[in-house]
Amino acid sequence: MKDGYASSVTTDGLALATRGLVKRYGTRPALAGLDLSVPTGVVYGFLGPNGAGKTTTMRLLTGLIHPDAGSIEVLGKPFGRGDRHRLFEVGSLIESPSFYPYLSGRENLRALAATGAVVAAARIEELLELVGLRERAADKVQTYSLGMKQRLGIAAALLSDPRLLLLDEPANGLDPAGIVAMRETLRHLASIGKTVFVSSHVLGEVEQLADVIGIIATGRLVREGRIDTLLQGAGEVRVRVAAEQIEAARAALAGLAPEGGVMPAGGDDGWLSIRIETTRAADVNRTLAEAGIFASGLEAGSDLESLFLELTRDEATGHEGTFFGVAGGSR
Amino acid sequence: MRIFRSTLRKLIRRPASFVTLGILIALLALILFAVSITASQPDAPPQQRAGLQLVTFPEAYTIILSFILGLGGLFAVIYGAAVAGSEWSWGTLKSAVARGESRSRYQLGTFAAIAVMVGIGMLIAFGVGIGVAFVGATIAGVSTAGLGDAETLGTMPELLGRGWLAIVEEGALGFAIATLARSQLAGIGAGIAVYFGEQFASIFLPDIVKYLPFNAANAVVATPGEGGFSGGDGGGPIIASLEPNEALIVVVAWLVGALVVSTLFTERAEISG
Repeated sequence: MKDGYASSVTTDGLALATRGLVKRYGTRPALAGLDLSVPTGVVYGFLGPNGAGKTTTMRLLTGLIHPDAGSIEVLGKPFGRGDRHRLFEVGSLIESPSFYPYLSGRENLRALAATGAVVAAARIEELLELVGLRERAADKVQTYSLGMKQRLGIAAALLSDPRLLLLDEPANGLDPAGIVAMRETLRHLASIGKTVFVSSHVLGEVEQLADVIGIIATGRLVREGRIDTLLQGAGEVRVRVAAEQIEAARAALAGLAPEGGVMPAGGDDGWLSIRIETTRAADVNRTLAEAGIFASGLEAGSDLESLFLELTRDEATGHEGTFFGVAGGSR
Repeated sequence: MRIFRSTLRKLIRRPASFVTLGILIALLALILFAVSITASQPDAPPQQRAGLQLVTFPEAYTIILSFILGLGGLFAVIYGAAVAGSEWSWGTLKSAVARGESRSRYQLGTFAAIAVMVGIGMLIAFGVGIGVAFVGATIAGVSTAGLGDAETLGTMPELLGRGWLAIVEEGALGFAIATLARSQLAGIGAGIAVYFGEQFASIFLPDIVKYLPFNAANAVVATPGEGGFSGGDGGGPIIASLEPNEALIVVVAWLVGALVVSTLFTERAEISG
């Protein structure tokens, strides 16, 4: 579960930790013993299918709701009812950004700055500049686009110059330039020792942004670790052979991968996908050559989407109905 | 104090503040003008001519205040519900709590700002009402000599203070209802339903209704035997009113109760959405 990842029962050196976190809505369990270990100074990508418990986790981490069992540690200290001051060093953007529509962006930040930790007035202008809203800061929020509201939400999360940032789908509604700017900002924050916890459905974005990921399914953590280590073990080698040699190639390569690990990569252009470590691409080429089959193309790579679908497949197939009737997390 | 000041700034900018006050003043002016014009017609029946009491000073002072407490009470419920409900509907309470703000302090600071806004609104409406009554009296040819009646003017600060407390209590009810409903629209709807429900209940429970929040609020400034817009001789169901001082205690009890309920609920609530 913790591939190549130095986390354990202890929570020393962690910016955020949960142990045995349980939350039920009526009789329905939303979290069933969640153990998260978020090291200090990283960008942590928190992934999971719809209904897996991501939003519930975010709400618990910000004190909006309270757990039925288990514990939370924020910045090395226990966080429960009555520990709201811990949040003075935490910035958050939970679900959609929330603002007074009749106030301007600047006035909304001022209103928010009147709550929680004290914020210097100059900080608001600094953040408006950072998120590119300086020009529109005096306009009412009800005239903002979704992306502008999201930018303002990120500025609101950064108000107190937090040591820990909790962001729910931060790229939602942002244009490509905004996404790049946000990514650079979050990477910069991690580089200066702050911890960024990002919940997202956009796997490609998380893959580019995160140092560490945690994947949650049915209220439990199914995998957590450094992204490079996790992807190394979940690689794919793709090889192209002549169409009439596909079945022979599958048979030859069957011994390299686990059962069912060799399959057509899609389409009818002769590509085969082999689920093995990316470092074994040469083995694939050699095995084919030994069988008298010569590849016209060879690619090695891995992606978070494959890992995500593999780890959450049980949950996806467990649904009575799936998106557009496609079950099993097909790609 | 930061929350109070911040909420006050927010409410000053909020269109609902001006719309609510504007409607109250417009209705007050409309009624005073209409009564002045119709009652001053030479062929007006005695019942209509009695309406001139509304623009006859010094009685007009307490009648206008009574009007503001009656209709203004309904608006205060709506306003309190709108402010509290929008914190849930817009998710701004969620943002404050996620920043580590105390839920109780946020609720109480917000309500304190509402109380100030309601007080300012009441004073503006009262001032405009007096001005309109003066103009109405002039149109109707009624003497305005009582305008400077020292005895009545001497009682006005206390009456306005009592009136403010009554209208704040009504706002607190709307605030509490919307907090329980966690919604702006549901809070406003439920607040209006409670307001009219209490009036309706007077048919069946006349001895109990006088202790209910809106009737108690109206009794806070009522002089025994005097009718206003919201009960007594002025029309509508006749309900035995509480004595003003007794009503004041009941109003304070409702006010404190409403704030305790909304604060405790917010403190314990699971905030989502």
